[in-house]
Amino acid sequence: MKNEYIPFLSEIKEVIQHTAIEYTFRMAFEGDVKPGQFFEVSLPKYGEAPISVSGIGEGTIDLTIRKVGKVTGEIFEKYVGDKLFLRGPYGNGFELDNYRGHEVVVVAGGTGLSPVRGIIEHFAKHKEECKGLTLITGFKTPDDVLFKDDLKAWAEAAKITVTVDQAPEGYEGPTGLVTKYIPDLEIKDMENVQVVVVGPPIMMKFTVAEFLKRGIKEKNIWISQERKMCCGIGKCGHCKIGDTYICLEGPVFNYTQGKLLRD
Amino acid sequence: MDINTKKLKKNAFRVTKVRGITASRVRVPGGLINAEYLGKIQEIAEKYGNGQVHITIRQGFEILGIKFEDMDKVNEMLQPIIEGLGINQEVPGKGYTSAGTRNVSACIGNKVCPFANYNTTDFAKKIEKAIFPNDLHFKIALTGCQNDCIKARMQDFGIIGMTMPQYDATRCVSCGACVKGCKGRSVGCLSAKNYRVERQADKCVGCGVCINACPTGAWTRSQKKYYRLAIMGRTGKTNPRLAEDFIVWADEESIIKIILNTYKYVTEYIDRSAPGGKEHIGYIVDRTGFMEFKKWALEGVELPEEAVVKNNVYWSGIQYK
Amino acid sequence: MGYRTSTAHLDSILRELSKEYSIYAPKTFVGEGTYSDTDRVRYGTVESLGEINFEVKSEFSYKEILTPISETLFYFTEDEVKVADGPKKGAIVFVRSCDLHAVKRMDDIYLKNGFEDFYYKRIREKTKFILMGCSQSFNSCFCVDMGTNKSDHYDAYIKVDGDSALIDGEFEALITRLEEVEEVTVKPDFVTENKTRVNIPENLSLDIMDSTMWNEYNERCIACGRCNFVCPTCTCFTMQDVFYEGSDRKQAGERRRVWASCQVNGYTDMAGGHSFRGDKGQRMRFKVLHKVYDYKKRFGYNMCVGCGRCDDICPEYISFSACINKLSDGMKEIEG
Repeated sequence: MKNEYIPFLSEIKEVIQHTAIEYTFRMAFEGDVKPGQFFEVSLPKYGEAPISVSGIGEGTIDLTIRKVGKVTGEIFEKYVGDKLFLRGPYGNGFELDNYRGHEVVVVAGGTGLSPVRGIIEHFAKHKEECKGLTLITGFKTPDDVLFKDDLKAWAEAAKITVTVDQAPEGYEGPTGLVTKYIPDLEIKDMENVQVVVVGPPIMMKFTVAEFLKRGIKEKNIWISQERKMCCGIGKCGHCKIGDTYICLEGPVFNYTQGKLLRD
Repeated sequence: MDINTKKLKKNAFRVTKVRGITASRVRVPGGLINAEYLGKIQEIAEKYGNGQVHITIRQGFEILGIKFEDMDKVNEMLQPIIEGLGINQEVPGKGYTSAGTRNVSACIGNKVCPFANYNTTDFAKKIEKAIFPNDLHFKIALTGCQNDCIKARMQDFGIIGMTMPQYDATRCVSCGACVKGCKGRSVGCLSAKNYRVERQADKCVGCGVCINACPTGAWTRSQKKYYRLAIMGRTGKTNPRLAEDFIVWADEESIIKIILNTYKYVTEYIDRSAPGGKEHIGYIVDRTGFMEFKKWALEGVELPEEAVVKNNVYWSGIQYK
Repeated sequence: MGYRTSTAHLDSILRELSKEYSIYAPKTFVGEGTYSDTDRVRYGTVESLGEINFEVKSEFSYKEILTPISETLFYFTEDEVKVADGPKKGAIVFVRSCDLHAVKRMDDIYLKNGFEDFYYKRIREKTKFILMGCSQSFNSCFCVDMGTNKSDHYDAYIKVDGDSALIDGEFEALITRLEEVEEVTVKPDFVTENKTRVNIPENLSLDIMDSTMWNEYNERCIACGRCNFVCPTCTCFTMQDVFYEGSDRKQAGERRRVWASCQVNGYTDMAGGHSFRGDKGQRMRFKVLHKVYDYKKRFGYNMCVGCGRCDDICPEYISFSACINKLSDGMKEIEG
């Protein structure tokens, strides 16, 4: 009988620092995995936390971890060559087929950029697979911006807005919440555009509302929910919303279902 | 009118402001009384008194407005109450034969109260049986927990209920209710460590708040009951003060023995020239020194292993003299 | 078909069986009640019928046998894990009808709903259930309305009747050991009516979360979680990693799971600081709807078995059954 609670060891192949407290750990992993899926990542000393996959490579997966809480904090003491215990991948993740052949707009708040990074990465590399790619991503301050190198690289293939909530004097980039950039966003195919929104609960709520205001269909909006999860496999109960287990049926939802999830 | 007031007082009557009029004190050890005796008290009050009954601070009833000449008849009518409440009596039908040792009072205790750590009435009755009647001025009160609703700390002997919390880690879900409860309602001797609870034993007052707070029964009460014995609290004109802890985690038998030993000690050391030959124990202890009292009090007492006996005891209070 | 034998004989069989099985039943733990000089009736191991409390509803359910309150999953070092051993013996558990129905709920969560749970399964596979009948309903029971008052999927049924015991069922290890028995017809005692009735409105929907009916619980509930902990169908748990201190194996420890409560603070807390259902009224809504609404949407039948333990245990006298009966007005309020 398979014991799904037993984690496996995975070597840290590379560590990429984004900010003072956010790093991407490139971990050894062989197997099928989709953007938006997650792993239960643990350091035995502290415990597990669900971390979404922020990148998929040849024999590797990226886990972008923000130093919050004691669980993820400990991981920062780990270095290349060390190992972490993982379980997963769990959850449904994003199906790229849902976006292929369409105009794609991604809005991400903070670490919400991690689960969607795989989507952007894919369509940035395969421009021909979509009819235009737009990313609006928001961070608290310029110091909090994640995946800076990627943002530069994607700029050739995608229209990118990086906005910050608070900026020091003299800052020249966009400021304000992501929602500020939606009303005037140029959308070519209002009928079929696929919108992906990931971030903190409040950010997702207001962002989706802006798109609905503009007449985007519910069925063309996708969200990813983040919840406390102690098991990732439909047992512990923490992630349940109504009759839906985020770990099993989510974390990615089409908004027609996602809107029914009320805490 | 020729009345021996000394005898009258010993018989639990009182010399009042009004010449020829007395009042009768009915003692209710442990504060619990069957309602039928209230009817009998009513009968006495209506037949020989002025119809009024004062409820005393020590949980007795004082039947007011009795004529001196009716005291014998009142004593006769008191007989079923005295018997019903199981009061030791030297001569049946003659009322209470001593008044110096006061009614042993008690808070409502674990008969009713969720915080109480023992049946205060039962223990009070046990003490009453052991010490009454006696003319020496002893005040004893029992309270179920450290909230001390009976004000045990204003007595010569204040008995405060304790329990030794038992922790079953396998039933603990780390919800934190006990830690929060102890911090908010008691002394804060619990802390969470490694998802388990640690109890700082020397700080714990044995109140049982953790047990009441625990939703899974990880905390339970000890099978053995424990008591905090606080001594020599008092009110009065000279030096009112709260009783101080003498023994913590004491047992029932030891406490009874200590009280009985104290009677011997008082008999030995009381100031016979004191007004009315009456002296609070505390003042005797002040005079002999605590160490002498302690020697007498602990004579032949076998305390449980867990008991903590204070090496010395220092009282404070207000000094008026 | 069934049997009558002496309790003495049945006791000798139970003693035999206890070599192979731990026998669990409601038992009086003297002096272990919450309050001074009170007892607690909960599940414990027994070796004879005399130790079993057939009279009182156990405060906690049988579920702590299938899912221990605190269960070590594995031990670990820096780079190794070792699965914790399960119980060596099987389990025989005495349960009432409502609890037997609750086992089905636990099975559906732990054996279905995503992956099969290794730890649950290894205990569950070796567990036999003995039904103890209910000659009468307790005040807070509402099993009849929840459809759990009767059950026929027991391994055995045992009823003590003075010096003799009535037995039914097909639990081989028990039945084959029966000697000197009288064959009689044994029909388990089931209650057919309860004093407490509940009505789950047909039009119940998640919209009821906006009803004002939950507001009273913001003030009344103390978020202690007792209702969840005594519930035979609550299955939530939280993981704990314990690091052994003072050992030279610096990174050694164990991972446990312990019961969790959706009413207790912290249930939804995420590492980033977000949490949901801060109001205790909304936590009550979450629990109540799970028990009588959304579990059914997922599994086709209601989760609550109507045992009434949550009503019995609540220190604030919040009645779950009374809350169910407020749902109808709550829906009227929402639908206008």
